[in-house]
Amino acid sequence: MTMMSATFTTEAMSIDSNYAHPEALVSTSWVSEHLKDEGIRIIESNEDVLLYDMGHLPGAVHIDWQRDLQDHTIRDYIQPEAFAALCSKNGITPDTTCIFYGDKSNWWSCYALWVFRLFGHDKVKIMDGGRDKWIAEGRPLTRELPKFPATTYPAPLVRRDAEIRAFYDDALAQSCSKLPLIDVRSPGEFKGQVTHMPEYPQEGVLRGGHIPGAHSVPWKQAVNADATFKSAADLQKIYQSDLGLKPDDEIVAYCRIGERSSHTWFVLNYLLGFKGVRNYDGSWTEWGNRVGAPIEKSL
Amino acid sequence: MSYPLKLSAIIELFSGLSDAEKRETLISYADQARLQEPKEGEQFDLEDVRKDEECTDTVAVFLRLDERGGAHFRVTLGPQVQTLTRAMSSILCKGLDGITPDEVLAIPADFVPKIVGAELVRLRSQTVYYLLTRMKGVAKVWLQRQRQASLGMEVLDKDDAACE
Repeated sequence: MTMMSATFTTEAMSIDSNYAHPEALVSTSWVSEHLKDEGIRIIESNEDVLLYDMGHLPGAVHIDWQRDLQDHTIRDYIQPEAFAALCSKNGITPDTTCIFYGDKSNWWSCYALWVFRLFGHDKVKIMDGGRDKWIAEGRPLTRELPKFPATTYPAPLVRRDAEIRAFYDDALAQSCSKLPLIDVRSPGEFKGQVTHMPEYPQEGVLRGGHIPGAHSVPWKQAVNADATFKSAADLQKIYQSDLGLKPDDEIVAYCRIGERSSHTWFVLNYLLGFKGVRNYDGSWTEWGNRVGAPIEKSL
Repeated sequence: MSYPLKLSAIIELFSGLSDAEKRETLISYADQARLQEPKEGEQFDLEDVRKDEECTDTVAVFLRLDERGGAHFRVTLGPQVQTLTRAMSSILCKGLDGITPDEVLAIPADFVPKIVGAELVRLRSQTVYYLLTRMKGVAKVWLQRQRQASLGMEVLDKDDAACE
């Protein structure tokens, strides 16, 4: 079997070249033509834990946000050694380009990509439109589990929390300093009318509302009906013209547990080229339950 | 407490399976979820429709009581509802079919891990219990309404007696 090395060109990927980093996206058609390329690994990350078992892109591995990326003994991500083991198990080396895709308009694939970035794995991309677009286009799925030889992946020396991750104190400082805080949840959650989603009682909070000073920009505004990202012009209008954000702003995005806000983090960081965006993954499940945390409600 | 017979049979089916086989079987049940949707012309005693278009999708639970007091559930699920929820709707509509609302309320939730397996419970915690909770909620509301109605009847009977 002849293996080809992956090459990424914007034209070939049908991706808006006006994005700040169009190379951060690949189209479904590009992926379908490069499934067997050397040097890439296709990774499915979903909300629905059984979707991968029902069928996935040929050659795709499965990384689950709960099973693989969370340390269940502490509310935090896995340690560098565990990340290295995860990559090794899935045939990923530090030089592998990881292409993420998944359900829910790529919520969890953006989240997984963000966690990979925490560990300094910068060769990362999103398949625009995710799993839904792939299926809508009639492209093939398989239930065959891929097998890749284990690699040697050195444990990252540090986790880059300070660069792209915000904690409670950071979000509080952001609020007190009146710096941009983006609440990407639905309007009902922002207003304090919804304290948990019906199917997710474990993600509930004692108080509804939002962080004082936060702007409501639901993540959904950044995607088209087919789960692809909106054009650069549309995104600039939403976040720059309408909201007034500037590329050099220090921005913190949050949602309920950090997955929807990693979607917005991806948009601001890669598609609009903002330099100082951090994802507050503690999000409303931390803020809304925390003793002494101030909240705002709106009608 | 023992489980209803139909549910026991399903639990028994799952009990001998490995986690991988459990997943396969859950997917098969999920594929059959549409069979549990309301049939044309069916009338229900209670409907509970909840929309969550942000995280999952609409889940509607319908309850019909037969002349012997047996409960029959139907469920409609939006296209984005998770596979586990679809599987549980199929399992519970079959497993709880024909038992009384009181019996629905009394069923302990400890059978759920036996069906879905420890790993899926750990990964998606409460999500696996979601539909059972919804069905119990519907059964509870129906029972409350029945009790309120019978209390009302008692008051009416007393009023009638007072007038005599």
